[in-house]
Amino acid sequence: MVAADDLELTVENGEYLCLLGPTGAGKTTTLRIIAGLTAPDSGQVFLDEKDVTKAEPEERNAVLLSQTYSLFPTMTVAENILFGPEIRKVPEEEKKRTLIELLDLVRLTKRADSYPRELSGGMQQRNALARALATNPDVLLLDEPLRALDARLRIDLRHELRSLAKALGLTVIHVTHDQEEALVMADRIAVIRDGRIIQVGTPREVFDSPATPFVANFVGQSNFFTGSILCSGNDRTTTVHDEEGRVVFARPCALPVDSKVVVAVKIGNTRVVKKSDAFLTGTVERALFEGRIVHLDVDVPGLGRYSVKLPASRRDQVSVGDEIGLNWSVKKASVFPYPEGGLENELKVD
Amino acid sequence: MPEVELRGIVKRFGKVTASRDIDLKIADGEYVTILGPSGCGKTTLIRMIAGIIEPSEGKVLIGGRDMEGVPIEERDIGYVFQNIALFPHLNALGNVSYGPVVRNKDRKEVEEIPRRYLELVKLLDRMKMFPSELSGGEQQKVSLARALASGAKILLLDEPLSALDARVRMDLRYELRRITKDLGLTVVHVTHDQEEAMTVSDRIVLMRNGRIVETNTPEMLYLEPKDLFTANFVGETNLLEGVVKEVLEDRSLVELRDGTVVEARPSKFKSGDAVVLSIRPERVHPASEGLGAVIRCITFMGTYIRISVETDSEDRVNFDVSTSEDRDYNIGDRVDLIWSKRSGILYPRPPEGVQEAIKLE
Repeated sequence: MVAADDLELTVENGEYLCLLGPTGAGKTTTLRIIAGLTAPDSGQVFLDEKDVTKAEPEERNAVLLSQTYSLFPTMTVAENILFGPEIRKVPEEEKKRTLIELLDLVRLTKRADSYPRELSGGMQQRNALARALATNPDVLLLDEPLRALDARLRIDLRHELRSLAKALGLTVIHVTHDQEEALVMADRIAVIRDGRIIQVGTPREVFDSPATPFVANFVGQSNFFTGSILCSGNDRTTTVHDEEGRVVFARPCALPVDSKVVVAVKIGNTRVVKKSDAFLTGTVERALFEGRIVHLDVDVPGLGRYSVKLPASRRDQVSVGDEIGLNWSVKKASVFPYPEGGLENELKVD
Repeated sequence: MPEVELRGIVKRFGKVTASRDIDLKIADGEYVTILGPSGCGKTTLIRMIAGIIEPSEGKVLIGGRDMEGVPIEERDIGYVFQNIALFPHLNALGNVSYGPVVRNKDRKEVEEIPRRYLELVKLLDRMKMFPSELSGGEQQKVSLARALASGAKILLLDEPLSALDARVRMDLRYELRRITKDLGLTVVHVTHDQEEAMTVSDRIVLMRNGRIVETNTPEMLYLEPKDLFTANFVGETNLLEGVVKEVLEDRSLVELRDGTVVEARPSKFKSGDAVVLSIRPERVHPASEGLGAVIRCITFMGTYIRISVETDSEDRVNFDVSTSEDRDYNIGDRVDLIWSKRSGILYPRPPEGVQEAIKLE
């Protein structure tokens, strides 16, 4: 099995990079190779321009924080933090100072003598983070650091974790399967699938200009329209039609007329409009209230389900059974060559 | 009539009280979510409904019948666990057949029923695969099919999506609701994920520290939260501290810490009362005049931009703007914020402090 294939990635000093992909994409393997816990079959790892491919983990100045935290259950918060410095025989004075600083940094000063089982999930996470930082690394490797936490807590801790890394000037590689987490936390996102990196870019680039239909659907769900190009070219709106004569519009692309393509538009950028302004029309199958938005599932005859996120303030304008029109801003729609293995296969996330 | 009723439930484990004063009625065919942070007692509650543990006080009734001493297999219940519990040596079909087999159905039904439910979860083409050959989402669908195949009219889902990837979780939520509604089942679903609860439920029971904080439809919990904890936990909100200046017929006027007076819904407070004003990020708008603030953080959220500011009243406020907006926002810029008087909700300032009142763990 090939877990990471032809992988090329450069992370800048002080950058917060999220490695985003579904389970089994090779995210953890990549992280372990950087940390030196798994040796690559081929290729090299450089830290600070130095080839460390053959170096032991402790020689790398990169520390991995595992998903399950791996705190020692029989050690207190303080003992867990000092585990690394203890082994490296750091002088007593310096150990004391490190401990005080780190406890303060992760807000666990009052819990220094507690055992992991006496801590909440969030505190355990911070304890593990402090232990990782005790080795004074330049590179912090985070493997799904928020996964074990409650959904709501996870949202609150995103900013905290990023600010901490930024304040310490660390270079961070953060592995996650959660696209929203990546959007909010990353300077750049690297989307990985089947061991390969498909796209690297800022959150805005990855969201607004996805490299493949998979990225379009994985980073913020998309609606898709399959057809062929009727009209395209430099700076011209791309016109795509299908055999039923439906016509939709998308941003300019370099593909020639008659190419088989898919148009992708984020469900959050798909709009409910008057039928006279619509690219497509359909019937509202479901309307689910989700707080700031209402999630609509719309059955477009012959094409299947399209989804829309309607601002909740407009929820009285649409109800189940209504026939509605859909369109989108042309510059929010991407055009891709029709994927070789079929669209369904391309979009598979599980 | 598989309605579920909990009457005066208390559950103690030694000195710890995991549930207290629980009164809850779940109607036939209703989809109810029990939502709350870790350790709030939601799992204890669902286990008492299942009969895995017995309450210390109070009664569990199913279809009007007292369940005291009735074991799980006689309660007409299907149960799906967080940690996917399939038999590794049986393929998908074997796993789903397990329910009907133990229930001693005739052979034809044992053949037919599992296939029907595998089709419902769209896994008929993978029925010969073993759990290790299926993805996480597929395994959880097999668990669901197995629970359904038992023919139970009540389905208990204990964090059924927590172990799955975010994206898979999103897709499966809609499936869960569709399937259970099609079958007319009564569902009790436990989760810590407020977004998941909003999407799947007819009603949400919000719990904290072993008690029910509030029970309502997703829409009402979001739009009309009766409690400060609810306002913060179900969806995001901004909380500003102030003192009531005046309550008029159509609005309340609240003076913030810097003396700025802002509007909220009419209320029962008196002038001078210490209050917390809750306002959702999507209800706050930049304007030419309003509550002054400095931009501290700008986050791209995909279809919108989240702007985080520090107000002159020293409150932290988030608001959202469209990605297609012409105006340029930069860190350090000053903005003025307004909101409609109908969007702000007032709560008494909690004696223990705002942070304590909304604490998650």
